[in-house]
Amino acid sequence: MAKMNKKWVVLCSAALGAIYAAEYFATEAQALPHNSERSQLSIPSEASSPINSAAPTLPPVNNVAPSSPAESAPTPSSSKKMYNDGSYIGIGSNRRGSIEVTVTIQHDKITDVEISRFAMHYSDRDVVGLPDEVLQKQSAQVDNVSGATYSVRAFEDAVQEALSQAKNA
Amino acid sequence: MKPKIWAKSPKGYVLMIMVAFLGIASYVSHESKGLENALIAVVAAVVADIVCCLFEKRKRIFPDGAVITGVIVSLILSVTSPWYIVASTSVLSILSKHLLAYRKKPVFNPAAIGLLLSVPIFHAQQSWWGAFGDFNALFLLIILVGGYWVAHRIQKFPLVFSYLGAYLIAMFVISVGIVPIGSETLHSGDIFDALRPPFINATLFFALFMLTDPPTSPAKTRDQIIFGMLAAIAGAVVYRLFGGLIYLYIGLLVGNLYQLLRGMIRPQHRAAIRVSE
Repeated sequence: MAKMNKKWVVLCSAALGAIYAAEYFATEAQALPHNSERSQLSIPSEASSPINSAAPTLPPVNNVAPSSPAESAPTPSSSKKMYNDGSYIGIGSNRRGSIEVTVTIQHDKITDVEISRFAMHYSDRDVVGLPDEVLQKQSAQVDNVSGATYSVRAFEDAVQEALSQAKNA
Repeated sequence: MKPKIWAKSPKGYVLMIMVAFLGIASYVSHESKGLENALIAVVAAVVADIVCCLFEKRKRIFPDGAVITGVIVSLILSVTSPWYIVASTSVLSILSKHLLAYRKKPVFNPAAIGLLLSVPIFHAQQSWWGAFGDFNALFLLIILVGGYWVAHRIQKFPLVFSYLGAYLIAMFVISVGIVPIGSETLHSGDIFDALRPPFINATLFFALFMLTDPPTSPAKTRDQIIFGMLAAIAGAVVYRLFGGLIYLYIGLLVGNLYQLLRGMIRPQHRAAIRVSE
């Protein structure tokens, strides 16, 4: 049998702890862009301007280059309007990954929702029907998909964040 | 077997720790659904095990292993999983134990294969909530204390250490590009995620309680080390390529296959030696 001396157990545990700690701190540098991206995106601000909904590809929000006002400026809205027209990107994330959505709003109506990046550690099939549900309900709150809570929560957070950005101040 | 003797057996230890984890995770998360799922999983596993034993006309029917399998399944599946997915995953695990057997011993870890199959068949989401993946990182200490106790009791430290060592090194080697295995999707296969909760919780829980399952893991030190390294490297490659949460199980299945091949080759080897003598 593989009985192990206590000294060896302590030694191996210490070695593993050292390797783990080294890798953990080495990946902290990798963590910083993740965190800054997430925090930047979670704060609705004027800096995160809406993007042109007709654009074929959507640049990441934190890299949005200043574009021409004709393309990117929100449609002048009346004071009664709840949201500015345009396309907005939101990200929802948790410990199981993140989802990025692009929400298009016209005349206070959600006209399109697209999952522009799916980076959960689960299957994307869990959330494939949720954009249609948002369009039907005109709300970020969707029915929970049984057993897919983390993906659904990330999706809802992403849509909510996009809507927060679109909100007419 | 008398209850007192059973409680001191490896299965007794593992079950006590699993039940403790179930209680702690339910209490801290204020979630009773996990307890309901555990009851469903255990009942389904026990019923399936008894039916299989009756079908095989076994003389001794004592489904303690099925209870452990059921509790492990419930600790890993998301608490929001519907009851039929929890029950079906338990039944799949027990069926694999009886159907995929060599010399009346299961080839694959029952819980691992049930949970692996539940992903493509039922689209089951696995949160590893019973490994405290959603809590403070300090809860890792509970896993380590319980796991070390079990590993010491069943003498599987070489397996645990070789697995964790190879896993950490393989993750590093792959992530820095020494071995060019890439992942196309962001986050999937990130070493950043692999080293942090809930993934590190899952890895420790897996290494200490699932990998060390006595019927499906080797006893000798040398075999334990090879088994652990194979499982770790295969798991790290799958994680890097596909992300997700099934990489641990696939790694274990590779280790189980190695163990099966060793078991098949050894008798032939011995027979060949006898003939040559």
